[in-house]
Amino acid sequence: MLDVLRGVDVTLTPGEMLAVVGRSGSGKSTLLNLLGCLDRSDGGELWFGDERLTGAGRGSRARFRGRHLGFVFQAYHLIPELTVWENVLLAARYVGRARAEAEEAARKLLQRLGVAARVAHYPPTLSGGEQQRVAFCRAMLNDPAVILADEPTGNLDADNAGVLLAELRARAHDGGSAVLLVTHSAELAHSADRVLTLADGQLTPVGA
Amino acid sequence: MVTGAGGPRRRLLPRGYGFAIAGIAVGMAGLVALGALADRISRFIDGGHRFVLGQISVAGAGLGTGAGFTAGGLLPKRTIDAIRRVPGVALVQAQVMLPLNPSTSELFSVNQELVLGVDLGVPTPNRNYPSFPIAHGRDLAPGDRGRVVVGAELAASRTLRPPASLRIGDRDFEVVGILERLLTAPDRFAIVPIEDARDLWLALDPTVRALYRTGGTLAADDLNTGAAVGWTSGVDPDALAARIRREVAGVNVAAPGEVARQLSASTAFFRWLMVAVAGIGLLIGGLSLSNTVAAATFERIRDFGIKQALGASDGQLLGEVLRESLTVSLAGGVIGTVLAILAGLAIDARAAQAGQQLFLFSGRLVAFAVGFAAALGAVAGVYASVRILRVPPAEAIRRGA
Repeated sequence: MLDVLRGVDVTLTPGEMLAVVGRSGSGKSTLLNLLGCLDRSDGGELWFGDERLTGAGRGSRARFRGRHLGFVFQAYHLIPELTVWENVLLAARYVGRARAEAEEAARKLLQRLGVAARVAHYPPTLSGGEQQRVAFCRAMLNDPAVILADEPTGNLDADNAGVLLAELRARAHDGGSAVLLVTHSAELAHSADRVLTLADGQLTPVGA
Repeated sequence: MVTGAGGPRRRLLPRGYGFAIAGIAVGMAGLVALGALADRISRFIDGGHRFVLGQISVAGAGLGTGAGFTAGGLLPKRTIDAIRRVPGVALVQAQVMLPLNPSTSELFSVNQELVLGVDLGVPTPNRNYPSFPIAHGRDLAPGDRGRVVVGAELAASRTLRPPASLRIGDRDFEVVGILERLLTAPDRFAIVPIEDARDLWLALDPTVRALYRTGGTLAADDLNTGAAVGWTSGVDPDALAARIRREVAGVNVAAPGEVARQLSASTAFFRWLMVAVAGIGLLIGGLSLSNTVAAATFERIRDFGIKQALGASDGQLLGEVLRESLTVSLAGGVIGTVLAILAGLAIDARAAQAGQQLFLFSGRLVAFAVGFAAALGAVAGVYASVRILRVPPAEAIRRGA
């Protein structure tokens, strides 16, 4: 067995944008998957406020992901067989959100991100930047308390990367969400409020 | 401005299931076609059983006279009268059964074209076939002469439809009726009044003709190749057959139970063929369907991970897969069934020119095929989903990427 993370202790604060940097294979995505309840750790504890997520059942973890988390992936991970509109609203379906309210929120998000004209299109017909903006809309639909972004600008050009980064900052600073950004880009990390380095399975503040 | 969205379209299926539906349709078409072949064979055999179990068939002792189930020696009127007096006998109908074409009809025992002459003055004793259903025209009536009612396959092979004529021996008969397709022996019968059948027999058989015309004791009423015997309610037909055998001299008696056993033995090959054909159909169709649905579900492993990241519970995902699997399987099942029926009808249209029908698409078969497709598709989809749900969402997203 390989110990990817050892003695990692990290706290995300509402309104904060935290970046975790590290080389490829350092365990950044593993950390993000554990924090996002997409995987289970062999040890340690995970808390959300005063709710202990360690040992929670599959249903509880699913509910937690749907209500409080928003994922932004490097590869967008839109479902190619669904339209942009269906992809975005997928996030509301699983948390039992009222349809009309979710549709209104989806419209606003799609307009804000400049992809409203693409609602009837399928992901493979969109550019990378458009796909990431749609994926961002989907992640933000339920106003998540925590946003977990895994190399979110990795496949984007400078303009699209700038738009996405600005949105993430706005979510943290104006919306009060906690944003965790994992990246190997020092430039991207510098736009965060706090930067941690992940190396040899351990997190250390940059410059420490 | 978001236009043209109007809310998420509630589709039964996401895109990309066309190939799966096509794959299922091909498998189900094979299953339905093989099932229809098996049903056709089954109906033929069961029809024969039903017929022989509905009457006691009696022929005269000896060999070489007549054809079909009354083959045997001459059955004179006095013997028929003796049978009629046996306690438990309700009806005795004299019959003459001859090959329609003496040069070829005897070659295939299960597929003979036969002339059946019946005594129209006596109700048909067969409990399971008190009358044959008429598809076109009418049945024979007492007093008819020179008229014939023709079985469906015989009529199709000669494109007969009333009014028409059918040449039997050296005589032309007026076709007054066509039987409904029974998918068993009477489909190839030409049913005529017994008086006409006797004339045909005399014309056909020089030995009988010589006996009849020598001025001996043989009268027209004695020219019978056999008789159908019916029993009164509550009487055991096999016991009655044994009693006729004991009490009436000069008869060959075919007890319904004995004939059914002989028929079972002689058709055992076809029954096993039917079981094999149906089994192969189920195997091929079932494997094709379950494999296609499971593969289509496994292909969506990344979607499972993404949806789990969005908050989907196991129950929600299973519900989605169940709905999609059912829809895909039903669509494939229905399309496959329609394809099989169309192909079967096309083949049967060609086969009908030779008086044959190869497929029997019964409602039971269609219902079974569609139900089988839906059930197996649902099981395969749920099975694949349960396997996928064992994989952590992060791993599911990674594997499908």
